[in-house]
Amino acid sequence: MSSPIHSPQGNWWIAGVSVLEKTWIRISVVWCLLLFASMIVWASYGKQNQAGPTYRVSTTEFMQKVQAFKKAGTQTEDGIIPADEHIYVAAARFSFDGFPVVLQAGKQYQVHMSSYDVQHGLSVRPEHALSKQMSLQLLPGYEWVLPMKFDEPGVYHVVCNEFCGVGHRTMHGSFIVRR
Amino acid sequence: MIKELFTNDYGPDGFRTCSVTGMRIDRTAENFVKVFGLTAVVALVVGGISAILVVLTRWEVVGLLGPADFYNWLSVHAWNLLIFWMVFMEVAILYVGGPMVLGRKLPAPKLAMVGYVLMLGAAIGINWALMTTSAPDHAPVLTSYAPLPSSEWFYLGAIVFILGTVIAALPFFAAIWQEKVENPNRSLPLVAFGAFITAIIAVEALLGGLITYIPTYMWRIGLLEHIDAAWYRQMYWIVGHGSQQINLAAMITVWYFLTHVVGGAEVVSEKVSRSAFILYLFFINMGAAHHLMADPALAASWKVWNTSYAAYGAVLASMIHAFAIPAGLEAGRRKRGAGKSLFGWLWSSPWSNPVFSAVIFSIILFGFMGGITGVLMGQMQLNLAWHNTWATVGHFHATVVLGTTMTFMGLVFFVIQTMFRKELIMAPLAKIQPWFYSGFMALTTLMMMYLGILYGIPRRHASVMNIPGTDFNFAAAEPLFVVFGIAALLAIAGGILFALISVGSLLFGNRLDPSTVFRPTHSWQGDGSPVHLQSMRGTFAFTLIFLAVFVIAYVLNWYLLSRLWEIG
Repeated sequence: MSSPIHSPQGNWWIAGVSVLEKTWIRISVVWCLLLFASMIVWASYGKQNQAGPTYRVSTTEFMQKVQAFKKAGTQTEDGIIPADEHIYVAAARFSFDGFPVVLQAGKQYQVHMSSYDVQHGLSVRPEHALSKQMSLQLLPGYEWVLPMKFDEPGVYHVVCNEFCGVGHRTMHGSFIVRR
Repeated sequence: MIKELFTNDYGPDGFRTCSVTGMRIDRTAENFVKVFGLTAVVALVVGGISAILVVLTRWEVVGLLGPADFYNWLSVHAWNLLIFWMVFMEVAILYVGGPMVLGRKLPAPKLAMVGYVLMLGAAIGINWALMTTSAPDHAPVLTSYAPLPSSEWFYLGAIVFILGTVIAALPFFAAIWQEKVENPNRSLPLVAFGAFITAIIAVEALLGGLITYIPTYMWRIGLLEHIDAAWYRQMYWIVGHGSQQINLAAMITVWYFLTHVVGGAEVVSEKVSRSAFILYLFFINMGAAHHLMADPALAASWKVWNTSYAAYGAVLASMIHAFAIPAGLEAGRRKRGAGKSLFGWLWSSPWSNPVFSAVIFSIILFGFMGGITGVLMGQMQLNLAWHNTWATVGHFHATVVLGTTMTFMGLVFFVIQTMFRKELIMAPLAKIQPWFYSGFMALTTLMMMYLGILYGIPRRHASVMNIPGTDFNFAAAEPLFVVFGIAALLAIAGGILFALISVGSLLFGNRLDPSTVFRPTHSWQGDGSPVHLQSMRGTFAFTLIFLAVFVIAYVLNWYLLSRLWEIG
């Protein structure tokens, strides 16, 4: 009997392996290769890849960048219309700085993100479809630049989804996307 | 009464022979297994009580706790169930997988005692620090992400707990060392081999913990001025995910052990199963990278590499075990004529034995719910939709609760009957406990996944139905929260049932000859034909169903992602 609580007898390395077990291992290897390939293919052809440059930045420097962004943009009742394709948003306990921003549907923006204090999350979804959602991590000391292009107009709500203290649940911002 | 719990019929050399497994069991090893196991159950109870508070807060129809209390109790829940319940059990498993399976004395019992005392002291200290956290400190939840400061006693407790665990693991390594010195040409039994791999993965994870917590503690008490958030995340996940990989490897080792002693499973290929453990050894730590997929400061190539070639070495290993363990049961039972049809070997298994049903449910639910979702969220792009949503919490409840906790519950029932030699009280309820608990816990877990992926419900929120300062909320998800709340409370009731049966059996159970409950393994003989020539078609059918579910879930997740706006 081949028991897991006794030492195997003889040369177990050359003992036979069931045909079905070998088949399953082959299937598994192929599946793992497909899993790998799908990430590579999506990185080349897909439209959702959280890839973009990151820069070291001090809190003061990034605060200045956000202030400059707000000053250069046009203030409206709904939020800031950016002066160019660069948007600067920051998370701080317990609010977002730079939001709300008013964007044009179909136009690509460079979203510069960071945190002024601790780790935060940037979790975004349109009001009309909660299942279309994604989340990014924001770290103090790092400015992350990700291109984003919103095709569908609407209000995209932003909440923090990294625990940042007792007031964590109150953080809210929005991208307002217009035609 | 306490003394009676540690009494058994040992010979003059301090050994006894187990009437079920035939193992030669050293008194000291057995007593330490009992002590570590009992402490684990206490942690399970503390974690379970905090689960009630967490569930009744997140189910906002009740909305029990305010945010500050909620985060403190969420931290208690995380540390007791993800760390203390697991790690105390795992040290017990090492002492079973090492000295007991090898029929040896527990080497250096004083080290085991020192390790235990440090672990216990640290666990009590951490619990105290978590329950009394107040401003300017913050609840650490599990991750204590710097630079958000937590109580300095918490960090110190984490360091001491890690040191204690490393010390408690040393007698296990010594037992393996002695075995190999005395019998250099004899392979370790598979269970001892699995425990050995588990212990190595554990030491790697624990060293990562020291690299994380010692500088963080120094920062917290003011010896270091600055701590970098990205550095912390990289280092922390060596232990944060590594500790969960100890759970995985320990759980799989227990699967091989219990399917054998309770169901008559055999090892269908030593080569294949051991190779899969070796794959874990080399690759499983890379799984930690999937926590960093939505982070800045890491290149896409780093993310893809660490979640592909590297992590898939471990995924492959898990898929191999997913075949090998049920195939062992199928082949072992077929060999003895138990069930001729495609699944007859399974239907004829001892389902009324809670040790068996707990293990089988754990294998199925871990694979279908925990394994598949782990791979999905570990893909760089799919992680965008999973990161920090409640679905990730669903994932690790599928792995750690449906998988490891269910397995360990089965193991506790086994140890109560074979080591404490106590009959389980409330036998009819004991029989249904694994069905009840795993059923409602699976529903709870599924709701967390749906709420996270389909509604984007964030994790670690005291309330999402009302976000102060904005009209936006997640009220659309309320119906699923009702299902979640009811299922979670019923699952907790299943957990309470487990605690009552376990503690009640120890205190009031009749003395038992375990061979009247479990068939002695030496009687699992069969026709003597090579096990690999037995039919494994039932298992193959199961694994094909598993693959089909995997593929469907995979395609659906990419579809959901493709509906998003352009990112990157």
